Amino acid sequence: MSESKEILNLAISVGEVLLKSGGEIYRVQETVTRILEAYGIWDYHVFVITNGIFATVNEQREDAGSMVRYVPIGEVNLKRVAEVNQLSREICEKKCSIMEAYEKLEQCRNSASAGNLALVFACGVGSAGFCYLLGGRLYDSMVSFFLGVLLQMFLFLAGKHYASRFLMNILGSALVTAGSLILYVAGAGILSDKVIIGGIIPLVPGVALTTGIRDLFSGDYLSGGIRLMDALLTGMCIAIGVGAMIKLFQLLGGGALLL
Amino acid sequence: MIDQIFVSMAATIAFAVLFHVPQSEYLLCGINGAIGWMVYLFCTSRGTGGTVASIWATVALTLIARILSAVRKMPSTVFLITGIFTLVPGTGIYYTSYYFVMNDLEQCAAKGIETFKIAGAIVLGIIFGLMLPQSWFNQLGRIWNRNR
Repeated sequence: MSESKEILNLAISVGEVLLKSGGEIYRVQETVTRILEAYGIWDYHVFVITNGIFATVNEQREDAGSMVRYVPIGEVNLKRVAEVNQLSREICEKKCSIMEAYEKLEQCRNSASAGNLALVFACGVGSAGFCYLLGGRLYDSMVSFFLGVLLQMFLFLAGKHYASRFLMNILGSALVTAGSLILYVAGAGILSDKVIIGGIIPLVPGVALTTGIRDLFSGDYLSGGIRLMDALLTGMCIAIGVGAMIKLFQLLGGGALLL
Repeated sequence: MIDQIFVSMAATIAFAVLFHVPQSEYLLCGINGAIGWMVYLFCTSRGTGGTVASIWATVALTLIARILSAVRKMPSTVFLITGIFTLVPGTGIYYTSYYFVMNDLEQCAAKGIETFKIAGAIVLGIIFGLMLPQSWFNQLGRIWNRNR
């Protein structure tokens, strides 16, 4: 591989990790171009959208190179974004050679993040917290905690079987709703609406909304549009899951059930 | 009041864990989320609707996220995404679908529009917060890190 290709590959790999972990488009674009410049390539074109990176270097010369990378939308991992940011800072200060940069990138990719148990617990705490903030009592929050734990377990299970994200959102919100309504019908005396709202909060597309706006604001209309569409569809999926389950309980109760 | 501060902090930290924020930033994320929620509560207690309150809260959140990101040398997304979660209209989504299946279309439309309004308010808030030039925040970060 010629040197320019190697540099291009490094820059795009760094960008790929960043994009996959939830970085904004302008950040990815800037990181890629800065790395190229840090290694002495000035003739370049980089184009980034939500699920792909396209780049060419030294188009007019002997060692011309071009690359296209498909990047599916992955799990948000802000630790990786922070680490790659640090790496690109080091590269720009010319602190590491290409080989070192590759090694460090590999470290970023494999860096340990919160374990599954911590995630399950965090999901429970998040659900309980929001249930309380949005008007639930302490008792409702505790129920919401267990529903949140259940939800995260379900998401892990579904993720293992590569279920589509839409299906996961519909089934996840249906699961939370069903859990809450079963307890309600059984006479647990919970405020079922607050419990459900707390439970579905982990599914709500806050990341897609925020990142989408930031993309739009920095002029990446296509990418921003993709993210906002994702946010809208996710929100609708949640609504479908909740609505379908409430309807089901209503039908089972013969319409007499006052929810 | 104090319970609201602590609960919103705990909830934001829980989301920080879910999004794999670096451990050193958990507390700051929590504080940012709590500030956003406090601003929201303050505005609603002063009689503004949820939409206007969401704008102010998001502006506060975004500015603080940018200051923190300059000071801590972290991408601002880290603080922004986790902080914004206290404001995302989960309640609206629930009530919209609830009234939809209850066939109460008037309420459904009202809640649905309200949900979109709050989402739009968050959009506006972030945009206002991003309007100040980045160089100011860089300068702030430089001053802060030099004095330490």
